[in-house]
Amino acid sequence: MLAALDDLAIQRAKTGDLEALEQVYRAYEGVVYTLARRICRTAEDAEDVLQETFLEVCRSIGRFRGTEPGSLTAWIKRVAASKALMRVRREKYREADDLSDGDEVLGRRDPDVALQLDLEEALGRLSDRSRTVVWLHDVEGYTHEDIAELMGMTVSFSKSQLARAHSRLRGWLGREPV
Amino acid sequence: MMHCTMDDLIALRDGEGSREAQRHLAECAACRAEFESLHQRGAALKALPALRPPRERWSAVRAEIEGARRRRRRGVFAWGSLVAAAAAVGVIGVQAARLRSAADASAADLRALVEQSQRLEEALRAYDPTSRVLNGRAASAVAEIEDRIAVIDLGLAEAQSGGASRAELLELWRQRVQLMDELVRVHVTRAAYVGL
Repeated sequence: MLAALDDLAIQRAKTGDLEALEQVYRAYEGVVYTLARRICRTAEDAEDVLQETFLEVCRSIGRFRGTEPGSLTAWIKRVAASKALMRVRREKYREADDLSDGDEVLGRRDPDVALQLDLEEALGRLSDRSRTVVWLHDVEGYTHEDIAELMGMTVSFSKSQLARAHSRLRGWLGREPV
Repeated sequence: MMHCTMDDLIALRDGEGSREAQRHLAECAACRAEFESLHQRGAALKALPALRPPRERWSAVRAEIEGARRRRRRGVFAWGSLVAAAAAVGVIGVQAARLRSAADASAADLRALVEQSQRLEEALRAYDPTSRVLNGRAASAVAEIEDRIAVIDLGLAEAQSGGASRAELLELWRQRVQLMDELVRVHVTRAAYVGL
């Protein structure tokens, strides 16, 4: 839930006013941390992404020209997603489940004995790329074109990662999400 | 048609499904169940609670911003202060010599210029421009003046080490005082035009 942030505070933040920048931070820290935490493996990485995101926001908000409702939110989220993806690439997380093809694993697993993980745990078991795509597409509402651009991949890659993620979640959660 | 694949189901959910897949979904209870499950999973993902960062991070962000601003200002003023201090030491020596030489009127002028420059820097520091708001044109003017002061400071440093004449030093310090004066005025009045 976004805290109230009026236009005056945004205009002051654009001029570098630290109190106004803090208001922006307070309004968006939860949104940014949640997004970062869903993409990054660890809470520590997500905290670092939170900090890097707001350093970038503070440096660049003066050049932000969006006027549409929600454009500031969309911009800040995009900065956060970009920072989180950079962090994931930098950390070179092991794509453990890429070593074996997920659809094959799902095909071998009897749906009736699917692991009854809870949704958060299941998300955490996905590869970084699959988790990022499913979160950005299904929760944040990014199009496959947006995701492809953000991740430096193709649209078909984004689509295949989304299908793979859902196949795995279905297998781990059973038909009904826990 | 065989049962829908996950790609088919996602495409249908996102309004991009083929007619064939749509027809199959209407006829196949198993695929409709999977389709419903996909919807429920999406809804469950959206319903996951928002997370709060476990630790306060604003203080670190703020400290880094303030540090960057200080570094930027120091880039302009550190040279100035350093040169001013060096010149002041020179002025003390000159002051002693003043008693002995009629030519020392210029030494007094030099000392006056150095002190004036220092006073202007102090006034600017007291005004604390980093905590204030400038419009874009004023900010651009400030940046240009600061760049010109940096060039003068470089000239002063070279003049000091190269044994420049008193007249050359006086001219550099005059220019510096003039620029500092303009810098203070543009900060205080936020005027975009200062005769640059």
